[in-house]
Amino acid sequence: MGSRVYVTGAGVVSSLGYGREAFQRALIEGRSGVSKVSGFDTSAIGRDFAAEVKDFRARDWLTAAEARRTGRCSAFCIAGARMALEDAKLPQGSINGERTAVVLGTTMGEVALIEKLDRAWVASGPDGVKDVEVSRYGTTLLPIHVARAVGARGMVLTLPAACAAGNYAIGFGADLIRRGRADVVITGASEIIGQVQFSGFVRLGAVAPDRCQPFDLERQGLIVGEGSAIFVLESEEHAMRRGAIPLAEVGGWGIACDAFHITRPHPDGEGTLHALRKAISDSGFTAADVDFINAHGTATKANDAVEARCLNEVFEGRRVPVSSIKSMIGHCMGAASALEAASCIETVRDGWYPPTIHYSQRDPECDVEVVANEARRGAHDVVLNNSLAFGGYDAAVIFAKPGKIPSEAPCLR
Amino acid sequence: MTPLVITGLGAVTQGAVGREAFERATREREVGAFRAPTLFDESRWPGARVIEATDFDPAPVLGDKGLRNIDRLTKFFLVASRNALEDAGLKRDAKWLSGDGSFGRRAGVCASTAYGSLESMVELHRVALLESPRYLNPARFPNTVINAALGYVSIWEDLRAVNATVCNGNCGALDSILVAESFLGTDRADVIVVGGAEAMHEALFLAFERLEAMAPDGQPHAPGDDERSRGMRLGEGSVMLTVEREAFARERGAPCNVRITGFGTSFEPPSSEVMVINLSAEAIERATTLALADAKLAPSDIDAVVSSANGYSAYDRAEKTALAAVFGGPKPRALTKRAYGETLGAGGAFALGTAYVALDRGIVPAARDSAPWPSDARRLLVLTTGFYGNATAVVVERA
Repeated sequence: MGSRVYVTGAGVVSSLGYGREAFQRALIEGRSGVSKVSGFDTSAIGRDFAAEVKDFRARDWLTAAEARRTGRCSAFCIAGARMALEDAKLPQGSINGERTAVVLGTTMGEVALIEKLDRAWVASGPDGVKDVEVSRYGTTLLPIHVARAVGARGMVLTLPAACAAGNYAIGFGADLIRRGRADVVITGASEIIGQVQFSGFVRLGAVAPDRCQPFDLERQGLIVGEGSAIFVLESEEHAMRRGAIPLAEVGGWGIACDAFHITRPHPDGEGTLHALRKAISDSGFTAADVDFINAHGTATKANDAVEARCLNEVFEGRRVPVSSIKSMIGHCMGAASALEAASCIETVRDGWYPPTIHYSQRDPECDVEVVANEARRGAHDVVLNNSLAFGGYDAAVIFAKPGKIPSEAPCLR
Repeated sequence: MTPLVITGLGAVTQGAVGREAFERATREREVGAFRAPTLFDESRWPGARVIEATDFDPAPVLGDKGLRNIDRLTKFFLVASRNALEDAGLKRDAKWLSGDGSFGRRAGVCASTAYGSLESMVELHRVALLESPRYLNPARFPNTVINAALGYVSIWEDLRAVNATVCNGNCGALDSILVAESFLGTDRADVIVVGGAEAMHEALFLAFERLEAMAPDGQPHAPGDDERSRGMRLGEGSVMLTVEREAFARERGAPCNVRITGFGTSFEPPSSEVMVINLSAEAIERATTLALADAKLAPSDIDAVVSSANGYSAYDRAEKTALAAVFGGPKPRALTKRAYGETLGAGGAFALGTAYVALDRGIVPAARDSAPWPSDARRLLVLTTGFYGNATAVVVERA
C-alpha cells in the first residue's frame, strides 16, 4: 500500500508577505498585492500593474555565499524552503539526505538573468557576458540550490509546467513518496517577473489595466504576479516517527493535456474535466465530498468561462464555494498553483475560504458560487486546487484534513 | 521500478532522421563531424567546433503547414516523437492505429530539455531591447516558455493523457523515465514518449565558452579519454522513445525485447560554498548503485556502459572514478558524445537510444572505447552526469 503523504511545513514568499500564516491572513482580509511595477520600465509596454514582491532581500533568508550564487527565482525557492523546514520543525542536518528529493516547478526560472546576460552581450559583445552570471542561469538550478540549502541528496528535478507547475511538482512529489522513492520531498514552485514575459502577456492581450476580477462579467484579464511557495511533504511513517504534526494530507491528483492550442484552453474543457475527476476519484472521494475549490481563475475571458463550466459539470450543479486568490496576488505563473496550495492548506486547517476581491457582477458564463469580496468560513475537510496552463496543461490536486483520505483510495494503493 | 518496455525510437541528429538512420549512425559513426557553426556567425568564434543538424528538414515528416511560428527545438521534438510513435506501431501517416481514434487520451509525452528555446528567448528579448516591447510577436511569445515545445508535441501528435517537461541538466532525459514510470504506474497513461531535445544557439555556445568548458579546433577532443581530452563540444538534436508497461505492449502485439529495469538518481553538493559546478564521482556512484539495486542486479551482471563522458577532462574523470568504485575494473563503454556531441538535456536520450538499438538489434556502437564490446551484450548501464553534482543512471536489459 502506498504511504499517506502529509504536508508538515510550508514557506511562502508573496506580494502579501512571508510565511503561510501571514500570507493566509492577508488573503482572508482581502488585501491586494497589486501595485505599479517598479522592477522595470513599463512605459512602452502599455500596462503597468503587477503583484511584485517588492521588499524581498535575499540576505534575510540566504547566506552570503547563497546570495552570491543564486538569481532571484532560486533565492525565492531557498527562502521558501527555509521557512518550510522551520515550520516543519526539521532542523538543518536532521533529514536523511539520500531519502530526500527536491521537486520544483516554474515557468521561466531565472528569466531576469537571461535578460541581463543578453543586455550585456548586446552592449559589450561576448566579453561583456560574465561567467559568474552564466553559472547562475538555468532552470535546472532551482532544486539544486534548495538541495544544497536543506541537505537533500536524492532526486533534484524541475518540472517547468507553466502555470500548473506547482500542482505538477506537489502531485509528482507525493507520488515519489507513495511509490517508495523518497521519505521526504521538498516541493513547490517559484516565479519572478521578467520584462519580456510581462510584455509577452500584454501582447497576447491577456493583461488587465490595474486589477484582476476573476469570474466577474467585467473581467479584463490577468495581472502578472510573482512569488514562491515551498512545502515539506513526508511519508506518514517519517512524520509519525519524529512526532511531526501534519498541516494537511495530500490526496490524489489529476493531469491531462488539451492538445488543442498552445495558449487557449479547450472550449469543451476535456482535459480540465479529466484532471478534476481524476484528482477526486484517486483520493477515494466523490464530487459531493469536496468542500471548497481554490480555482485557477485567471480573469481572462476564456479561462474563467471554461473553468466555471467544467466545475459545474464535475459538481453536477452543486454550489461548491469557489475562489480565486489571483484577484489579490495576481497570476504568479509557475508559482501560482503552489501559492494556491499554501492557501488550500490553511483552509484545510482553519476553514477560512479566501475571497475573490473586485467581484461585482455575476457573469452568466461563470455561474459558480464565488466567495465574493469577503472571506467566509465553511466545511473544510476536503479542498481542491485547480490549475490550467500554457501548453494545454491541466492539473488538479486534493488537500484534506490529515487522515481524511479513505484508506481504500486509489492513490494509497 | 516497474519494468518498462521500449517499443519505438525516433531521432534527429546530424545527417540522420528516424530509427534506421539512427541505427546506422550507431553502427558506423565513430566520431561525428565537428565543424564550424553555421547557425551563427563563425567569425565571432574562431576555432569553434560543433555538431549541428545542418541538413534537418522537418517537412518530409511533418508536412509544410503550421511550422511558421515553431522554433528549432520544437521541430526536433515533433519529428523525433512522430518517428517514435510510428516505429512503435502506434501510428501510421500520423494517425493512431490503436483504438477508435481516441487512443490519444491514454498516450502522453514526458521529456527533457535543459535550456528550452534560447532561440525564442533571445529573439524576443532583442525585439524588446532594440526596438520596443510593443513589437513582440504574440505568436512567437509562447515559445519562450520552456514547456511550449512539448505542448506543441501534444497538439501535433494528439497526446492528451500526460505532458511533462523535465529539467535536470544533462540528467533530465533519464529522469523522464522515472516520471513516465510514475505516470504509467498511477494509471495516467498506457504509452508515454520519453527522451529529450536540445537546439544549438549562439547563446548556448557563448555560455559554455565563458565557462571555459569547450575544446576549440586543434585541441584534443576525445570523450572518455580524460587524460588527453581538453574539452567538450556541443551538439544538438533529439531522441524520443516510446515506453509502456509490458502487459500493455504484449496485449497490442508490440515486441518486448528491451526493458528498462532499474533507475537511480543522486545529488552531491560541492565541497566549497563558492562553487556551483560540481563533477561528482560520489553522485554517479550512488546513482549507479541505486539503479543496480533497483534492477536487482550485481555490478558483475552489467556487460557494458553507455557513458556520459563528453571530453571535458574533470567531467570524464568523475565518471571513470565512479565506475572504478562500482565495478572494480573497466567495463566496455559506448561514448555517444564522440558521435553526437554534448547535447545536454538530450544527452541521456541519445545514450538510452544507443542502448536500445544495441540490445534490440545487436548493434555494436562504433563510438566506444578500446575495450571489446561483448558480442552478446544483454545488460547495459546508461549514465548521465550533470554539471552541478547531479547524476542519473538506468539499467536496460534484453529479454
